[in-house]
Amino acid sequence: MLEIKNLHARLADGREILRGIDLAVNSGEVHAIMGPNGSGKSTLAAVLAGRDGYDVSEGTVTYLGRDLLTMPADERAREGLFLAFQYPVEIPGVNNMYFLRAAINAQRRHRGEPELDAGQFLRAVRAQLKLLDIGEDLLQRAVNVGFSGGEKKRNEIFQMAMLAPRLAILDETDSGLDIDALKVVARGVNQQRAPDRAIVMITHYQRLLSYVEPDRVHVLHGGRIVESGDKDLAVELERRGYGLLGDAA
Amino acid sequence: MSAVVDFPVKPEARPYLDAFGSGERGRRAGEPDWLAGYRGRSLARFAELGFPSRRSEAWRYLDLRALEETPMLPAGAVRPAAGAATHARLAAVGFAGAAYRLVLVDGRFAPELSAIEGLSSGVWLGSTAAAIAERPDLVRSAIEAPSFETARPFAALNAAFFADGFVLDVAPGVVLDRPVEIIHLASGGTGGSLHTRSLVAVGAGGRASILETFAGHGSYWRNDVVELRLAAGAEFARVGLVEETADALHIGEMLAVLGPASRLASFVLLLGGRTVRHEATVRSEGEATHCALHGAFMLSGRQEANIVTTVDHAAPGGETREVFKGVAAGRAHGAFQGRITVRPGAQKVDAHQLSRNLVLSPRAAIDTKPELEIYADDVKCSHGAAVGDLDEAALFYLNTRGIAREEARRMLIEAFVREAVELVDSPLLREHLLSRLARRLAKLEE
Repeated sequence: MLEIKNLHARLADGREILRGIDLAVNSGEVHAIMGPNGSGKSTLAAVLAGRDGYDVSEGTVTYLGRDLLTMPADERAREGLFLAFQYPVEIPGVNNMYFLRAAINAQRRHRGEPELDAGQFLRAVRAQLKLLDIGEDLLQRAVNVGFSGGEKKRNEIFQMAMLAPRLAILDETDSGLDIDALKVVARGVNQQRAPDRAIVMITHYQRLLSYVEPDRVHVLHGGRIVESGDKDLAVELERRGYGLLGDAA
Repeated sequence: MSAVVDFPVKPEARPYLDAFGSGERGRRAGEPDWLAGYRGRSLARFAELGFPSRRSEAWRYLDLRALEETPMLPAGAVRPAAGAATHARLAAVGFAGAAYRLVLVDGRFAPELSAIEGLSSGVWLGSTAAAIAERPDLVRSAIEAPSFETARPFAALNAAFFADGFVLDVAPGVVLDRPVEIIHLASGGTGGSLHTRSLVAVGAGGRASILETFAGHGSYWRNDVVELRLAAGAEFARVGLVEETADALHIGEMLAVLGPASRLASFVLLLGGRTVRHEATVRSEGEATHCALHGAFMLSGRQEANIVTTVDHAAPGGETREVFKGVAAGRAHGAFQGRITVRPGAQKVDAHQLSRNLVLSPRAAIDTKPELEIYADDVKCSHGAAVGDLDEAALFYLNTRGIAREEARRMLIEAFVREAVELVDSPLLREHLLSRLARRLAKLEE
């Protein structure tokens, strides 16, 4: 589904953040990308989602057989790529429901499917709300405005559930969550596991991985993947810390 | 031949003087002497002032050279019959939730297009011309009250030439629940200038609201003055919706005098017109008044718009709230100038002003100029102003959900202006404004 080869990316100021990433994610898999602060985790998420301000100087990213890097962010999304933000953006004046319906219908139009009417949309919303323990009042508010940290993260997972992406990238979705919120988020992610869907979880801590068991775990350090393994690697990392990675890198 | 007068005359005022002197566009047959005298004095005032130049602070953001170079004389007395185009325009701009509708075509009352029958008791609504005949005392007292400031050239020209307008008089204690709709249409058949003068008087404890829509065809200059008089405890809301044509010049002035504990809510939405200026001047004469002046402009192409507000707190305990949003795309230029004055002794005044603006293209510009003049020591006054572009982080967020760039921009622009529209109390009017806004927005960045 996703194949990253020798990906190099730098910031506008010339600093190289990604220095040759190689990663392959297949349909149905859940991957965890772990690493210390500054290792390039969020840059990788941003480059995959199509954020401006990064210069990809080398390498390729193939998504569902297409060159991902030539597609604008909105097209990537309509092709089924979803990014759960580490810091979800507040959008004053844009109602959460209105926003979500616009997003779903943009994607449905793209796939040649009829748009959801208000009733169909509401039924779909209600089913997911229950699952993520989200109050309906959240939907009547402006997107992420005045949401607590936990509400923002749950709203991201809620959007993921509604949009049903092919590839979901969760950028530190576990950060800043208390244990109850973490469990709710993990439940949402687990429920989204499907044979035709891949999930990439970017995280600093092993904590989330106790609730969402990954198929593969990768360690990102200095802009490269320095180690890959199965779920046990995460446990081992938690025990020994990232401190020793300096030698491996 | 030029009229011979005994007062100084600015050159650009000369053609207007001549037109007035020729009679057919000046004094209307059967007008009372007090009005004729008032028109003459106003004309002399205009002749002395001429059109404002950009050197004058209140006019620095508007380019009126075209008006100085090419006179736009008042449209003739004969109003063409309303054609199919007028009916279509009326249907397009009309508001479904009004209690009564009064239509002015080319600045004159059009009874065949209006619906003002069956007025509730204590409500007088009609054309200014009818009011001069039927309610002379009401009109005269408003017209002859000393003007707020002396240098108001457009109001002076308006006074000299106004053909008609509307008058709404609400008796003390009378409440009108649904808005009165006033539609100012230009038929496109006259060219020149359309001068309308209107008056709203709300008696003690009375309550009313109006929606004034300005629209039309062709090229014209509209010069509109509306005066609001709120007695003690009166409540009045005015929504002004300017949807003039791409060739129109619109100069609108709203003057309000607030009695004790009265409440005024004004909202203006400037969407159409080549050059549009809306000036609101409020004098809070009574204690504990509440004045909400809100509005927005949304411009593209080479449109120009100015919103100018002056709130003068002459008495203690008044409250003023202002929220103005500006949006400029293409090569448009917008400006907001807001002055709040607190006179000596007007203690406990609480005033807040906010001007927020979106500039959507490198060739568009918006100026914002808040001015607080405070001469009392126990007051709460503040203002905020910002000019910026759309939030890139928010755009990206919408994009990552599959919403295309243009739609994402529209969503954010709509949300930006919506924040101001939501300050309108009436849900029906809010909905009407939002639908007009959506229509404008669809063509904003074409």
